[in-house]
Amino acid sequence: MMRKLLLGLVFSTAATSAVIAAPVTLQVWALDEPVHFTENMAKEFEAKNPDIKLDIKLVNFANILNDTIRAVSTNTAPDLLMLDNPDVASVASHDVLLDLSDRIAASKVVDAKNFYPGPINQSTWKGKIYGFPRGGNTLGLYYNADLFKAAGLDPTKPPQTWDEISAAAAKLTDAKKRQYGFGFSAVATEESTFQFLPWAQSAGGDFNAINTDGSVRALQFWQKLVDDKVATPEVLVLNQPDLGSQFVAGNIGMIVTGCWELPRFANEVKFDWRVALMPVEKAGAPRASALGELAYAVPKTSAHPDEAFKFLEYIYSQSSRDWNEYGWLPLDQTATPKDPKWPEAYAVFAEQMKYARGRGPSPVWPKVSKAIQVAIQDALTHKTDAKAALDTAQSTIDGLIK
Amino acid sequence: MLQSGFARYLRDGKGFEGTLIVAAVLYLLVFAAFPLLYTVLMSFQEVDMFTLGTLVRPFAGLKNYTDLFQRPEFAPIVWNTVIFVTLSIVFQLAIGFALALFFLQDFPGSTYVRGLFLAGWILPALVVGAVWRWIFAGDFGVLNYALQSLGLIDGQIYWLSDPAYALYSVIIANIWLGIPFNMILLSVGLAGIPGDVYEAAEMDGANVFQRFLTITLPMMGPTLGAVVALGVIFTLQQFDLVAALTQGGPANSSNVAQYWSWQMSFQTYEISGGATVATMMIALVIVVAVIYVRSVQREQSF
Repeated sequence: MMRKLLLGLVFSTAATSAVIAAPVTLQVWALDEPVHFTENMAKEFEAKNPDIKLDIKLVNFANILNDTIRAVSTNTAPDLLMLDNPDVASVASHDVLLDLSDRIAASKVVDAKNFYPGPINQSTWKGKIYGFPRGGNTLGLYYNADLFKAAGLDPTKPPQTWDEISAAAAKLTDAKKRQYGFGFSAVATEESTFQFLPWAQSAGGDFNAINTDGSVRALQFWQKLVDDKVATPEVLVLNQPDLGSQFVAGNIGMIVTGCWELPRFANEVKFDWRVALMPVEKAGAPRASALGELAYAVPKTSAHPDEAFKFLEYIYSQSSRDWNEYGWLPLDQTATPKDPKWPEAYAVFAEQMKYARGRGPSPVWPKVSKAIQVAIQDALTHKTDAKAALDTAQSTIDGLIK
Repeated sequence: MLQSGFARYLRDGKGFEGTLIVAAVLYLLVFAAFPLLYTVLMSFQEVDMFTLGTLVRPFAGLKNYTDLFQRPEFAPIVWNTVIFVTLSIVFQLAIGFALALFFLQDFPGSTYVRGLFLAGWILPALVVGAVWRWIFAGDFGVLNYALQSLGLIDGQIYWLSDPAYALYSVIIANIWLGIPFNMILLSVGLAGIPGDVYEAAEMDGANVFQRFLTITLPMMGPTLGAVVALGVIFTLQQFDLVAALTQGGPANSSNVAQYWSWQMSFQTYEISGGATVATMMIALVIVVAVIYVRSVQREQSF
């Protein structure tokens, strides 16, 4: 009996040590980006966990969803991949991602109470968490304080309502110099949906209430800015980086864009620039902003979900470095950076993040978004009026999410 | 022994020819016929994001086609495609032909300059698109600046963001991109016309225009046919320029079938819809190819 027990003990310890010793290699698909976030995190994680190796493949932002679909359909998905946050629900609804809820609840590192609500809602589908946001980015109002002074505006009091935006934009516009007061992106891609929704949300609309009076007023507001020539007609083809370049060049007095532009603006902008909260329709109207950033997801086919989650825990534990080193707000709202870079901008974006609302979540998000993009472009080009354009979008969306 | 016998069979005579045929047919089957049939198949099926990897999917009959015809953007996009293809080919051919005749004049350095024309053609269309984007930019574009300096326009023309201009801007860039290729093919055709025919006509008193109409044009028939047929195919493939310049916008005003097919397949994941557009384009290209082949055959039977 004793012998048997001993033998069993020997075997089981041998088995355990074998498990520990056998190095696990995780296949990871990471976003190809200049800040090399996932690669850096992987190096640090490997140094602390010599039994886990991360084999990283870089994927271009435009391809992440296509590559994921292809890999999942052919059973060649990696252990960990990244998705743009509105796409998490689309992929999760096909039952191909691992539900991370239990692991998050059981984790000693991750505390779900500390998540910013926006990013985690965006990663949740039917009450289960399928994405692990790496953080969040959101929109703000950037303005050129030098142009404000030149136009007789007070740079310490940035416009905070739609009327104030119109008034300030008119003063900042100088047709002769082709200088415009205000800029946003209405390009026919996801970017215009991202930019438009906060305006509709502040007026009481949303993606599934896109033809409410508030949403219509929001689109009419955009339309009027272009009609009055205080925003360039080029907003129809400018994406957010293009818009940022126009701001850097001093051609636009105020723009709406994300916190991801801070490092570039800090390097390139030659004038006094500042950031304010997104304007609301009227004083006291609800605040809203868009929510961007990617989320990690573990495909169901992964043979090493525990190791993949351990890596996510490590990323979470480093949240307080996100803002200073990588330029986005952490997933964990208690993880405030030490001596934040651009402290005024940090204060604005950390505040704005509380109002950041996701897109969807909806399993057919790309189609929903397309309907909104079409409405924006149809209205701004006066193909139809704002109300009719949004009615069409609403009936398309109703057909999709019924 | 058997092996060397087989090797000899492969190397010489019938076996060698057979191997070549099999290799070519196999290549076509794998890389051309299979994707083509796969696309056609998908246009008759309900395809979901994650059923790309299987062949067995719910049969949709003609539903994808009827859905497509009922979309409000269908007619405008088809019309845009017709304008895009027609104008692109007419101008590419006319300007390409004029340049080919010009370089036939054999002035010093003509062959080198003609070679330089190809530089534009070998640039990737995405790069060409980026350059034309700066040219066409509404507020600070080169074209507006030039037109204003010449006093031709007062305000700005928003080449890419005004729905009245966007399609024509893409066409202008595409014409520019296609001219060198047309010119080179037509130059080769022109070089094939024997010089003594012209000499004889000149002695008979035919002037430049008569020579062009009675000798150059008829003898260039097959070449022109080939260039037009290739032009239709290349223009229907022109995706990158649209992507780089307008992404089909604003409000679909510059959207064309090939870009629409991609948008449906890879932006909104209506993969059956994208495959349906592609299948209809394949049918069109087959018609063009048949007309071309028959016209060339008739040409040769004279």
